[in-house]
Amino acid sequence: MLAYIVRRAAYSVVVVLGVLFFLFALFFLVTKPDDIARKAIGDKAMPAVIAQWKKNHGYDRPLWPGPGHMKDNMLVEHYRRMLTFDFGRSDADDSVIMDRIERGAGPSLSLTLPEFVLGLTFGIGIALFVAFFRETYIDRSAVVLSVLAMSISSLLYIIGGQYLIGKELRWFPISGFDPSWAVRARFLALPIVVGLFAGIGGSVRFYRTVFIEDIYKDYVRTARAKGAGEIRIMTRHVLPNAMIPILTNVVTEIPFLLMGSLLLEASFGVPGLGSLTVDAINANDFATLRTMVYIGSLFFVVGQILTDISYTIVDPRVRLD
Amino acid sequence: MTEKARVFSWLSAALALFVLLACTNNPYPETDDGKHVLYASFGEAPKSLDPAVAYDTAAHEITGQVHDTLLEYHYLKRPYTLIPGLATAVPKGEPQADGTVVYSFELRAGAQFQDDPCFALDGDGTRTREISADDVAFEVMRIADPLVNSPVIDPFSNLSGFAEFSARLTRLLKADPGFKKLPARERYQRALPLDGVRVVDATHLELRLKNPYPQILYWFAMPFTTPVPWEAVEYYDGNHGHPHLADHPVASGPFMLSIYDKQSRMLLERNPNWYGAKHPEWRAPGATYPSEGEAEDARAGRLAAAGKALPFLDRVDFRREKEAIPAFTKFLEGYYDTSGIIRESFDKMVKDERLSPEMQALGMRLDKSVTAATYYIGFNMDDPVVGSKGGERSKKLRQAMSLAIDVKEYMRLFMNRRGVPAESVLPPGIFGYDADYRNPYRHVDIAKAKSLLSQAGFDGGIDPKTQKPLHLTFDTPDTSPDGRLRYQFFVNAWRQLGIDVEISATNYNKFQEKVHDGAYQIFMWGWVADYPDAENFMFLLTSDMARTKNDGPNTANFSNPEFDRLFLQMKARGNDAERLELIRKMRAIIEDQCPWIELFHPEDYLLLQEWMKNVKSAGLSVPTLKYQDLDPALRARDRAAWNKPVVWPAYALGALLVLVLAPGVLTFMRERQ
Amino acid sequence: MTEILNSYITSNLIVVLLVTGGVALWRAISRNKLWREAFRSVYRRRRIAVWVCAVYLAIGLSDSIAWVGGGQVGTDAVARHEAKTLLDRAFGDKKEKSYSAPFADAEFYAKSPLRFPGKHVLGTDILGRDVLFVTLKGVRIALLIGGLTTLIAIPLALLMGVLAGFFGKYVDDAVFFVFSVLQSMPSILLLIALITALPKSTLSVCIALAVTSWVGFCRLSRGETMKLRELDYVYAARALGVSELRIIWRHILPNLTHLIVITFALTFSSQVLSEAVLAWLNIGVEGSWGQMIAQAKNELSRDPVVWWNLAAASIALFGLILAINLVGDAIRDVLDPRTARENQ
Repeated sequence: MLAYIVRRAAYSVVVVLGVLFFLFALFFLVTKPDDIARKAIGDKAMPAVIAQWKKNHGYDRPLWPGPGHMKDNMLVEHYRRMLTFDFGRSDADDSVIMDRIERGAGPSLSLTLPEFVLGLTFGIGIALFVAFFRETYIDRSAVVLSVLAMSISSLLYIIGGQYLIGKELRWFPISGFDPSWAVRARFLALPIVVGLFAGIGGSVRFYRTVFIEDIYKDYVRTARAKGAGEIRIMTRHVLPNAMIPILTNVVTEIPFLLMGSLLLEASFGVPGLGSLTVDAINANDFATLRTMVYIGSLFFVVGQILTDISYTIVDPRVRLD
Repeated sequence: MTEKARVFSWLSAALALFVLLACTNNPYPETDDGKHVLYASFGEAPKSLDPAVAYDTAAHEITGQVHDTLLEYHYLKRPYTLIPGLATAVPKGEPQADGTVVYSFELRAGAQFQDDPCFALDGDGTRTREISADDVAFEVMRIADPLVNSPVIDPFSNLSGFAEFSARLTRLLKADPGFKKLPARERYQRALPLDGVRVVDATHLELRLKNPYPQILYWFAMPFTTPVPWEAVEYYDGNHGHPHLADHPVASGPFMLSIYDKQSRMLLERNPNWYGAKHPEWRAPGATYPSEGEAEDARAGRLAAAGKALPFLDRVDFRREKEAIPAFTKFLEGYYDTSGIIRESFDKMVKDERLSPEMQALGMRLDKSVTAATYYIGFNMDDPVVGSKGGERSKKLRQAMSLAIDVKEYMRLFMNRRGVPAESVLPPGIFGYDADYRNPYRHVDIAKAKSLLSQAGFDGGIDPKTQKPLHLTFDTPDTSPDGRLRYQFFVNAWRQLGIDVEISATNYNKFQEKVHDGAYQIFMWGWVADYPDAENFMFLLTSDMARTKNDGPNTANFSNPEFDRLFLQMKARGNDAERLELIRKMRAIIEDQCPWIELFHPEDYLLLQEWMKNVKSAGLSVPTLKYQDLDPALRARDRAAWNKPVVWPAYALGALLVLVLAPGVLTFMRERQ
Repeated sequence: MTEILNSYITSNLIVVLLVTGGVALWRAISRNKLWREAFRSVYRRRRIAVWVCAVYLAIGLSDSIAWVGGGQVGTDAVARHEAKTLLDRAFGDKKEKSYSAPFADAEFYAKSPLRFPGKHVLGTDILGRDVLFVTLKGVRIALLIGGLTTLIAIPLALLMGVLAGFFGKYVDDAVFFVFSVLQSMPSILLLIALITALPKSTLSVCIALAVTSWVGFCRLSRGETMKLRELDYVYAARALGVSELRIIWRHILPNLTHLIVITFALTFSSQVLSEAVLAWLNIGVEGSWGQMIAQAKNELSRDPVVWWNLAAASIALFGLILAINLVGDAIRDVLDPRTARENQ
């Protein structure tokens, strides 16, 4: 088990190195640092200023390792920076990327964490409810509703939520953010509700399939034959047995909570990492963009390892090797 | 089951409580309700707050309030009049025998910078110090510094020795790689002399211009020439955990920037060290509310505060709003105090150019002013097809294309007619603007346009070379869906002539690259005045300012020797009849050559809430917040009245859910029993 | 490369290829009893959805067949020289000056009379274009995004997956590494990174979407191939000295077809939805419904409200996605032996 985890982690490191190479190809071979510099400090900047800017941002080196600059080149520098979490400064406004990430993680988490927990509770809760009433109109209409819900673009949920709940009903502020928790809760309510609606169709459908699959299995029949009530069957037998597919879905997502939600944050003015990314797109801030992709992939590989570990905890039959 | 039910009911009770607590749309803490806090919004944080660099309106919104300048504009008087700020008087130019002109400034003695840790460089425990003429001279030298990369080197090159000083700095930079690492003060010492800027003593500063350039005074009413302490430049270098000066102003104005979070919030608070706050007894013009203005100001109640000490506001809270519509909605809810009008809500707000009765009932007011700005479509005159190389042919093409653009329709569709159609380069309010002038090529005439096009050799828009419609490219850095619609309007207009214009919306990088290489044909641009003078517009078409050759703002790359000659004469003169004649001649050249399709001068519509006092919009980007005031009690009352949540749909939805589910649940339970 | 996709010759060529391919596929299916039964079963389950898909396809095709000359042009002098599609010709030139409501006789705000009163079923947009027409033009874009992306992604994924699964060892290691790398980047971020770095064009967006979506199917086909490789008849074929490529072609690929069909249907809709998100971030495809929604969202704040743009684009998008989702589900239920068994 330990050996497996170690092997798995080692492979993840190799994968992350691969990701870094991919990013290098995308952001250094396709885009020229001179263009980025001119965009950041203006078209009129003197060559000396551009050179200074490139130096400050570490873009003044040769691209590939070569004689005389085996260590001092963009490729090595790119790896060094990313691996030591020294992300340098934003291409657009010179702010320190690490600071902005640290500042953005809090707002992101305060949006995604409640949304995730509530989404999971409602998703599993409704799916259990629906599976319980399988083969009735409740089940059938729930399936239809969730397919309908999945077919609506998430943009429409955002537009609808802001218009209806924010503007017409005045329940919550339309958008914005505040550091104080009492005010922050007001701001977060609307994006959380919208996020829940946008995600509920897919998750109900997924968990319902998982539960229904289990309901028809032999052990449930045995339990029923032994006289167990329906509610007991659902909560004591079906739910624990469905944990593996649920876990696969869930644990991988936990690290991503830190990354925030691109669409929700950008539309509701939450200054988290999602907004940071959208701003980076609009400002052509490649330094921030590649850092975000890199961090995302780090979270992903960590999530994968966590998932594997959690399997063994939930289901003692699973042995990793 | 019972235990779970209990846990569940607790959970739902907690959730319900949370929902109840959260159920208000007030975006601010209630504790601030009664305070003199002005709420405003910003879209993108300024790129730089360094006063020598910051040039756009968004940045001046902050730098203008935190930096004090030697001169200021009178808050109410129009046309714009200069009054003394940090200086004791507005200096007069003194022509010298050698052709130079000298301006002598006297600074107020005893004015201080805001408290800041950077002053500890002068000695432990020091938190501030007095402002000296050296600090102004230092800032002027910073403008010359190639490492600062200031956008306004050109106008300051009128100071004698300024261009040479800047060149020496560049040379030293190139010669010695270590030079760059020296403190700024040290570097400037080595590059002296700069005889255009002479520090006589701590409160006296003398400027020498190598030729008459009366507009120089306007530059001393802008943050570019604010006093900047050398300590701040040294301390805020972006290293050792200190922020960069571009993100941390150390200034002397009425407000100071206490929170600067580019992602979400900027907060201005009163600066207790401001000379107006420390010495109200001076009754300095820049620290006292004016007692005279225009007739309309008295009517609008803008003279009620006459003679009172500034500022009135305790704080100004800027919240980030990426999109205009949510910001405007919050304004309508009472959560912002002033606002422009978004296009979408214009018809509801304004009826017949006045505030709609509906909004008047809410106590709102509307303040209109024409901005000193001109928007235009430009042709790249270096381009072989539309530019000057094509000679008469290209000129006729440009004229024809100008004749096809119906700017009134454009303004109706995209701007709710907020603006004045432009006939020439100069906007209203600037000396030389002629309300009666009609540019023959700026009034739609498709028939005439088609005949000009035939004369140019493009009969029916067909390019004789390809036998297809003439294909041109409209370059823009605006990739937004909304921008797309705007440009499509122009494209549709030209398609009437048979000219096929392609919109090439690239990202900003690629656009700059194209402009840099001169690889563009048609573009749209706007110019907002730095100061109210014709020179500040006409220079946009002089050959010295050509974009491709000299990286200047003449993006059309227009070059006409006669125009350049007239410009030099016009620039040196005060506003008299001869200057007017010169401007007319220049206008005639532009009319005939048609390097621009002049579009419009935008009009600013500012909505004010009932509780706002002393607000007058300025067509220039000048600081106004120190004059503004508000009534918090009235605001709290209105907000409460406007924002009652509508709760019945929540109950209705709950009831519906129960109604739909209940029969199924009941029958099912009965069957399973 | 200037937008090859926008050239009407390419567009016509694609139609010809699609139609020939479709006919060939139809004939192949009707010959094979298994597939014929499967498709009949899908049709029986989701009659309406299948027809909706067909209608979308027909609109898309009619907007792809184009030629120069003829048609109404009105005031637009350039249009005379441009290729116009069947759809353009069917609609003709019905431009107004600005907004008008569905079936209105006058402009929405200015109240001036329209050139074509009562003719605009879904009203007109800010530039006076008929919204029904603009929406129908979006059909081709949506199909292009979904179709092109899937056509890039699936063959690529299939090739890599089958090679990895069949040959194992180093090939498998390499493929596994590549998709581990791609999969570990959050797909929306990867998409954004690709689009900002690639030149701005429809093809770039499709390539970016393809790169982010082939991984799942690659993994699936790899696993399936590994299973198939171990089957007795494959061993038998090997023993008889049949070449490896031939084994892949004759024994592996045919057993993957049901997976291909299912994946095609399911990725198609997610691509179209992803593009809508990209359009929201200003990096989508010109003329897509996502772009229409992004443009129309502000119109909800107009007073009186302009709803028809948003409604038209949303419903068109919703209809396509729902129809494809339903058909896709039905295909999966019928073709996937696992779910097929459970549904009995």
